[in-house]
Amino acid sequence: MTFPSGTLLAQSALSGVFIGSMYGLLGMGLGLAWGLLHIINLAHFGFAFLAAYLCYQLASVGGIDPLLTLALIIPLFFALGMAVQWLLSRFSVSPLNSLLATFGLTAIIEAGIQYFWTADFRKLESVYSGQKLRVGGLFVPVPELLTLVLALVLGFSIWAAMRYTNLGRALRALAEDAPMAAAFGVNRRAHALLLAGVCGALAGIAGVCLALSFTLTPSQIYAWVGVVFAAVMLGGLGSPLGPVAAGMVVGVSEAVTMAFASPSWAPIVSFSLLIALLLLRPGRT
Amino acid sequence: MRTGHRFTRGLGVALCSFALLATGAHAQGTQAPIRIGSTLALTGPLAATALVHKVVGEIYVEQLNKRGGLLGRPVEWIVRDDQSKPELARTLYEQLLTVDKVDLLMGPYATGAILSAMSVAQRYDKVLIHHTFGIPSLAKYDKQFPAWSLGPDPANTVPTTVFTALAASPKPPKTIAVVTSKFPSVHFMSLGAREVAKKRGLNEVLFLEWDFGNLDYGPIAARIKDAKPDFLWVGALGLEGNQLLEAMNKIDYAPAEHFYMYPAPGPMSKSPLAKNALSMTMFEEHPPFTNAAGAKEFIDLYHERAAKAGIPDTSVEVQAAASYTAWQILEAAVRGTNSIDDAKMAAWLKANRVETIQGKLRFDGPSNYGDDLMRVKQVQNGRWVTVYPKEYAAPGATLLVQ
Amino acid sequence: MPFLHLPAFYESFLYIVFHWIVLATSWNILSGYSGYFSFGHGAFFGAGVYTTAVLAGKYDVPFLWTLPAAALVAALLGLGLGAVVFRVRHVRGELFALLTLAATFVLATIVLNTPIDGGPGVYLSAVPVPKLAPTPSGSFYMMALVLAIGTIAIAYAIARARLGLGLFAIHDDEDAAEVMGVPAYRYKLVAFGVSCALAGVAGGIQALFVSYVTANGTFNITVPLTVVLMSVLGGTRSWIGPAIGATAITILLYATTAADQAVAGKAVVGAVLVAAILLMPEGILGRTFARRGRGVPPASSASPVPVHTDAVVAAIESPSAAAERTVLLAVRGVAKSFKGVRALDGVDLDVREGEVLGVIGPNGSGKSTLINVVSGHFRADAGSARFGGVDLLALPAHRIARAGVARTYQIPRPFAHLTVRDNVALAAMFGGTALDPRHAAEVALHWLQFTGLAARADAYPGDLNLHQAKFLELARGLAARPRLLMLDEVLSGLTPAEIDGAIDLILRIRAQGTTIVLVEHVMRVVTALAERIVVLDQGRVLAEGRTADVMARPDVAVAYLGVPHA
Repeated sequence: MTFPSGTLLAQSALSGVFIGSMYGLLGMGLGLAWGLLHIINLAHFGFAFLAAYLCYQLASVGGIDPLLTLALIIPLFFALGMAVQWLLSRFSVSPLNSLLATFGLTAIIEAGIQYFWTADFRKLESVYSGQKLRVGGLFVPVPELLTLVLALVLGFSIWAAMRYTNLGRALRALAEDAPMAAAFGVNRRAHALLLAGVCGALAGIAGVCLALSFTLTPSQIYAWVGVVFAAVMLGGLGSPLGPVAAGMVVGVSEAVTMAFASPSWAPIVSFSLLIALLLLRPGRT
Repeated sequence: MRTGHRFTRGLGVALCSFALLATGAHAQGTQAPIRIGSTLALTGPLAATALVHKVVGEIYVEQLNKRGGLLGRPVEWIVRDDQSKPELARTLYEQLLTVDKVDLLMGPYATGAILSAMSVAQRYDKVLIHHTFGIPSLAKYDKQFPAWSLGPDPANTVPTTVFTALAASPKPPKTIAVVTSKFPSVHFMSLGAREVAKKRGLNEVLFLEWDFGNLDYGPIAARIKDAKPDFLWVGALGLEGNQLLEAMNKIDYAPAEHFYMYPAPGPMSKSPLAKNALSMTMFEEHPPFTNAAGAKEFIDLYHERAAKAGIPDTSVEVQAAASYTAWQILEAAVRGTNSIDDAKMAAWLKANRVETIQGKLRFDGPSNYGDDLMRVKQVQNGRWVTVYPKEYAAPGATLLVQ
Repeated sequence: MPFLHLPAFYESFLYIVFHWIVLATSWNILSGYSGYFSFGHGAFFGAGVYTTAVLAGKYDVPFLWTLPAAALVAALLGLGLGAVVFRVRHVRGELFALLTLAATFVLATIVLNTPIDGGPGVYLSAVPVPKLAPTPSGSFYMMALVLAIGTIAIAYAIARARLGLGLFAIHDDEDAAEVMGVPAYRYKLVAFGVSCALAGVAGGIQALFVSYVTANGTFNITVPLTVVLMSVLGGTRSWIGPAIGATAITILLYATTAADQAVAGKAVVGAVLVAAILLMPEGILGRTFARRGRGVPPASSASPVPVHTDAVVAAIESPSAAAERTVLLAVRGVAKSFKGVRALDGVDLDVREGEVLGVIGPNGSGKSTLINVVSGHFRADAGSARFGGVDLLALPAHRIARAGVARTYQIPRPFAHLTVRDNVALAAMFGGTALDPRHAAEVALHWLQFTGLAARADAYPGDLNLHQAKFLELARGLAARPRLLMLDEVLSGLTPAEIDGAIDLILRIRAQGTTIVLVEHVMRVVTALAERIVVLDQGRVLAEGRTADVMARPDVAVAYLGVPHA
């Protein structure tokens, strides 16, 4: 094990930050829904990939700038998010059952994607694909930078909205004690639908970032589930920035391990770190 | 009387149809189809490539029936979806044999499923011809026959071919980096590459392994760039190769010479980053391969059907060719023994050579493997062209170096 | 069935069904019963897979011998993880799920990078399949059948035993369960160990079934996710639910293997799952397993009618003993802080045998905290509480219940998914009396009659009104025949008529010889029932003595009402 150069270490860590921000961006909507709506939405991943494929289609075949596809994708997935929430609340689905129901929904989405685009690998080649910035001695690829910026900006915005706006307070109150909040005049259904719409939109945005940076294939939906769930649970349910931070912990710890040692050992470092953090953190109860 | 008229006419029609049916039935009586059963990973992580095999199988069976089928009987192919799960493949093969009672078997997609199918075939003493088995040393059943012509010792022979090709190029490499996924069918080949490189006096400047399913190739790319190898051997399966190329591109690094074990062929050839990428093949869409009997017709049909199935890259390359070859082997065995008796077919295959689009195949080596027919191909101008050995190279093509 | 010589395919298909039955049922033993959702079942399954693969494939150990080894390895892994994790109080809910998921990744990486697998996978084709049936498929079918029956039997036995009831209680309210005597840590470990061992055996058999084992194929997200789905679909509270869910989902997945419907089939499976869970929220079995209690009409406003109605008044004068009684509980110097707020600041008091000791004080004076600390709900920061020669504060909560101490909660904390009867039976099983389930059920009925709730025995706590819920708390407190019963504002929220009934009940409790500590705000009750009272203020004892004396003290009035300005 030779000691890596400073540049190598820094570049690796940066790579970890980027993948961590992708974990966080994917996890943001998942964690908000879980913590505030008490819905474990596995279909969040399905939606993200659906958005990614739509972006791919519009950009590759339609020739539209991938970022412009957000203009369609955000409202579309906002609506889809609301639709799922409407369905789940109509049947008063418990959190655990929501996992089951959204798993079924994900299977439907995956089948739909495979039907339209086959299982073959699809890579979006866009004007952003090869672009990169040089910062010091390090390379900062533009699509990844975009993901990072979006994750941070969206995370901060939602955090601020949760904290400082009446809407945010209403949502937090609903999450803590829905009947009580309703007694204070908070319209439970409307707020839940709104939040679910936001989570759907977040999935859509994450999907566009996926399309910009990654090769797509339907089965890849599940490749992200494990680590994003880990980031969400570590970062805290209902926290917009928590998953981003936790995602970076995982991403950077793995990336730095890969810089030093055999990359196949990387998961052991990140997940052992995770276990230690969970056991040693001050109790929340 | 009108009713009487109608009645007579109706009766006449009925009698005629009955007579026709009877003769037809009589003709069918000796024409019970020969049923061939297999599974493919039509859903799940392996679905991308399995679709190729489905299209090729359908083409082959259709052509076969146009030629009169096998032994004068039509051929019917029953294929099931094993959902990329080896335990399901096993159960489905048992279903094919014991419930559907198929006459012959065809192999499924990829090593794991093939091993499952092999254990079932072994128990029922059936011949199993398979197209995509990656680890010859595990093929221990004596009635299995490979169409993926790796030869019995590919960990040695394949890298030897590659390094020989490189040595004959304008810029033979002196330093080499081996990076590989730990997926079984590529991993052992990469370890073999290290051995061969060492024997040939190449200096290994980097060896990395990653877990199949890794999402972040940044640090790996950074370490490769740091090591500055003359030649990069990438033990990659599917989109791993592309992911690594993209990661290297992100840090402004383009390897001088690079080789990918089992890339996703379409995405790699189409990627602007994959310029001059090398890989292995035993068939490409150019002479001398296209001179093989039936090749051109197959290629045209495949273009049409693949496009219809939605497959983005419709060129026939190693996967499709291996699949077609497997069916050719099966047909040859049936014709050669004039039967569907598995014991006879197996004995015939071991004693004879089969003419396929890959060339003449033999099955008398260890584990029924014959020659290593893998040639070196390269991405040139967005297409795969064979570059080594010279006899198989596309007209005028040579191994290009940066 | 091999004896019927069915085609091998059916045996293999049934093998797959049994295999998933074992995985789902074993998962449910910990996660369904106790609510500790594990996302790591794949780790223990994988541990079993690789134990068999390595022992049989690399070291030629006869296959059947590898199965107990697989069980052992998986169980040890689970127990090791559980021993650490279950100790940490805040690791519940999704944190436990995350920990077990992380454990899977760690184990997968270790397997992939060490000689256990190292990359090439382990090939088991040369390992002979034990001849338990005429064909190999038949042998697998037999092994899986035996394992499935065994697993379901274990799940059934646990559900019916004290372990099961304890786990169900932990599911609803772990802290309350502990306080009632359920040894939560031990029970969780046992359940986890059993669950992992069974998964390990299933893994061992699977290793031979697929005959080629790879790290990727073994440790992916499929197993953990699928067992959750199967159990939830079938019904997690039931011993047979997961098996039904497993069968249903396996058949569903299998029904769509025809090639031309492969992709559409996946969509159909998804749609069926969605419909199933929307229309059957309690799982397939949820409805059918609903006890009679569900059909019971919602709580009537009628008060529970105790069976005996003795005269209330006579009992005030405590039976003869004006003389000094022995001290039952001696509390010395107890302190407890919550993040800087000193709830208890050095409390000294004595509880005498057979008395009713009233504990009063303004809000925030530490009354409930005192009960919480003595009953073990919270750990004290300092001090001692000697009870029958033992310091309660040094004991874990469930031992305190065993020692003969019981308490009720001010806001009732019944176990929501257990019937009223089971709620009371639990106390009898885990408290000082430590009865077996059958006797406990009889005892429970007795105490329900005592408190007038016998008619609601099969109802669920959610169907009770506040009055009935409070009396349920009393019944639970009494069921283990405690020597000391601490009542935490049991009368709050009751109407005056209901309060009279409660007083009557408390007197009858006292008449049986139970010592009572009565934390109350309703002054007329305290003065009516308690011979002695203790006044707490700001975490300290302000006054202690005979009721009339203490109530006359000016500082007590000041503590309650403030300084008089008139």
